Amino acid sequence: MSSLPSQAEARLAPRAAPRAFQRALQPWMRAIVGVGGVLVFLVVWQIVGSQDLIRSDLISYPTEVLRSLYAMVASGELWANLSVTLQEFVLGFFPAIVLGVALGLAFALSRRLLYLFDPLFAALYTAPMIAFVPVLVVWFGVGLVSKAVMVFLSAFIPIVINTRTGVEEVPEAPIRALKAFGASRWQIIAKGLLPGALPAIMAGLRLAVGRSIVSLVAAEMYVSVRGIGRLVQVYSTSDRAAEIFVLVLVISSLGFLGVVLIRRIEAYVAPWSAAR
Amino acid sequence: MSKIHIDDETLRPAPRRSNDRVEEIGLGVLGVVLLVGGWEYAAYAGWLNPVIVSSPSAIAQAFARQWQSGDLMKDLGISLAEFAIGFSLSLVVGLALGVAMGMSRWVEYAADPFIWFLYASPLIAFYPLIIVWLGFGSTTVIALTFLLTFVTIAVNTMAGVRSVDPQLIRAVRAFGGSRLDVVAKVVLPASVPLVLAGVRIGLGRALIGVILGEMFSSNGGLGYHISFYGAHLKTADLFVPLTTVVVIGVVMTRICAVFERRFLAWRN
Amino acid sequence: MSQLALDRLHLAYENQATGASFLALSEVSFKVERGEFVTIVGPSGCGKSTLLMLIAALLKPTSGALSLNDRPISQPGSDRALVFQDFALLPWRTVLANVELGLELKGVPKDKRREAARRYVQMVGLRAFENSFPHQLSGGMRQRVGIARALSVEPEVLLMDEPFGALDAQIRQVMASELLRIWERDRKTILFVTHDIDEAVYLADRIIVMSASPGRIVKEIKVDFPRPRELAIRNTPEFTLYRKQIWDLLEEQIRNSGSWEQGDVEPAVAS
Repeated sequence: MSSLPSQAEARLAPRAAPRAFQRALQPWMRAIVGVGGVLVFLVVWQIVGSQDLIRSDLISYPTEVLRSLYAMVASGELWANLSVTLQEFVLGFFPAIVLGVALGLAFALSRRLLYLFDPLFAALYTAPMIAFVPVLVVWFGVGLVSKAVMVFLSAFIPIVINTRTGVEEVPEAPIRALKAFGASRWQIIAKGLLPGALPAIMAGLRLAVGRSIVSLVAAEMYVSVRGIGRLVQVYSTSDRAAEIFVLVLVISSLGFLGVVLIRRIEAYVAPWSAAR
Repeated sequence: MSKIHIDDETLRPAPRRSNDRVEEIGLGVLGVVLLVGGWEYAAYAGWLNPVIVSSPSAIAQAFARQWQSGDLMKDLGISLAEFAIGFSLSLVVGLALGVAMGMSRWVEYAADPFIWFLYASPLIAFYPLIIVWLGFGSTTVIALTFLLTFVTIAVNTMAGVRSVDPQLIRAVRAFGGSRLDVVAKVVLPASVPLVLAGVRIGLGRALIGVILGEMFSSNGGLGYHISFYGAHLKTADLFVPLTTVVVIGVVMTRICAVFERRFLAWRN
Repeated sequence: MSQLALDRLHLAYENQATGASFLALSEVSFKVERGEFVTIVGPSGCGKSTLLMLIAALLKPTSGALSLNDRPISQPGSDRALVFQDFALLPWRTVLANVELGLELKGVPKDKRREAARRYVQMVGLRAFENSFPHQLSGGMRQRVGIARALSVEPEVLLMDEPFGALDAQIRQVMASELLRIWERDRKTILFVTHDIDEAVYLADRIIVMSASPGRIVKEIKVDFPRPRELAIRNTPEFTLYRKQIWDLLEEQIRNSGSWEQGDVEPAVAS
């Protein structure tokens, strides 16, 4: 969130002109105040938790969370479950990319096809995917397959929709140039529509990562043999707040890493859009 | 410059024609009919296990059953009440926080890390803690709904407040308007588009929160019964609350679209 | 034998909403000799750009015939290359990859087309920018890429559709003289559409003046300035005579069409 000078002016309080040292600190203010706020929060949490001012099994405290993280890593428990979750994710996500982009492209190219499926996709796009967890478990079992299908569904729909809009919004000029230089239909798709839609497709992937991780964890929490969501369930029945915080951190990092990774890939495959 | 229209029909959908709307609706209906009909036929022909996969006719019967017994209306009532409370709380807190963050740099800087953590992290993982803190039932559902929703509204409201043209603020101040005038006559109206977008996304997230909360920590509502029927392998019964949830999602999105169109008429 | 021949072209559009028919071009016939630089000038809506789209075969005429080297024109091909007013570069490609496009679509192998593209990038003076993306370049530089792309397929005819129309007045003059410099090397046939009367006179061996509704040819004017030409010829009395002659042909239409207010047609006489 970069604030442009004009936006800074939009803030209401007309302030006195900042003094020189304040001006020098200005770019750092966000970091200073932000980190300060987080530190204050952590310290208060630590004191309240460790002194048992509020029952510490309910809220835990930062050092206990770290200790639990270490214990879960050291015992191999975390990795044993995380690897299953990652496997389910990969099995669902990659087919979703391939089929999602293909169908999105088809929707953009054929209005008939779009009309045929539009109501179904619109309904699935707005519906909370987690509501489908129980039926997928009934259909595909309690193991890995139902989770992979959940990831697939959660990722597939935003990818289809983003690809479709991306292709539809490729500007007309480059397509005109391709035609003028004699490009065939397939060349127009491969050299025009797909690269032009790439930024939108990557945005769809970012959206899909977040959605599918949430669905995956929820599905594992509903019923599973192994996985991060399964661990959440296990520790919640034994009132272990520290371990749950660890798991929350792990899951958040997964989503964060996924988005960072996609941004990296985007900067590599679509430098023209990342540079803008 | 004379505009050139290159014949583009082979590559993109042609521009809308008057009979296009008819085709759109017709094909949309056809798509749904094909899905339902194909499913029914597959079940009828014995290609699918009727207990596990169920069929549209079995679902219709389950619907009639749940409707007559009043179960469906009861679930709907519980879910909608939780939704309304959770969402209203989110709206009040989200708008207030968003305006505060938009108008004061200090509030924004301090709230930023927390907001982004809540925004980016899968909050469902917190639900066991919420159960531990608030117990089992509606309170937890509402809390989860709130957590999932208010951040979206706050972030969008902040962006909306930030998007206000400083010229307008200067103009109101120049005509002797007070700080309150600025908020009421400029900031709020001008930020409406982004706030509405936040509300739209928030509605979707609130629905997720309600269903999720009910699935894992309550004994009533649509989400609870989706989970319950699933656990008891009653697939046909499961599809009744599930379909209801999907319909709620669609209806909400439609209503939002109408609102946005009405409120945003001044933009072009 | 003339290289490019247009014979009684008609083009009618049908308005999809009202079903009304609109005659964009009527009875357009002319010939272009090999190595000739022809400019087409006319008010907004006279169909001069449409004419280029017909020659490029991106549009089909309602009736009439087009031929290049006595063969009828039926589909887009690399014997004609377009340069567009809005540049129409591929934003996701570097300068070099953009220039390669035409050769790539012809199926020229990678290292060969790269080498050729380098040569043309060098010719338009963008050597230092070959790895830049279009959004990093100024308008003038982008159009140099557009010109290099068109030249790289070694077309028989270069079709330029108000190529400098989106540029500032000063850059425009520089680009026009640059274009002449490049053209002097091999004197490829050029058909150049513009609404700028000065530009039309400065560049052309022959000017085709068109009028609007329906688009048709009003007059053809030969331009007798020797080549190579300097920008300074714009200040000679002869140039002023050409300018006045064209302006007189167009003035009434331009005033009536109202397109002047839209900034589409500049009253070049006043400059």
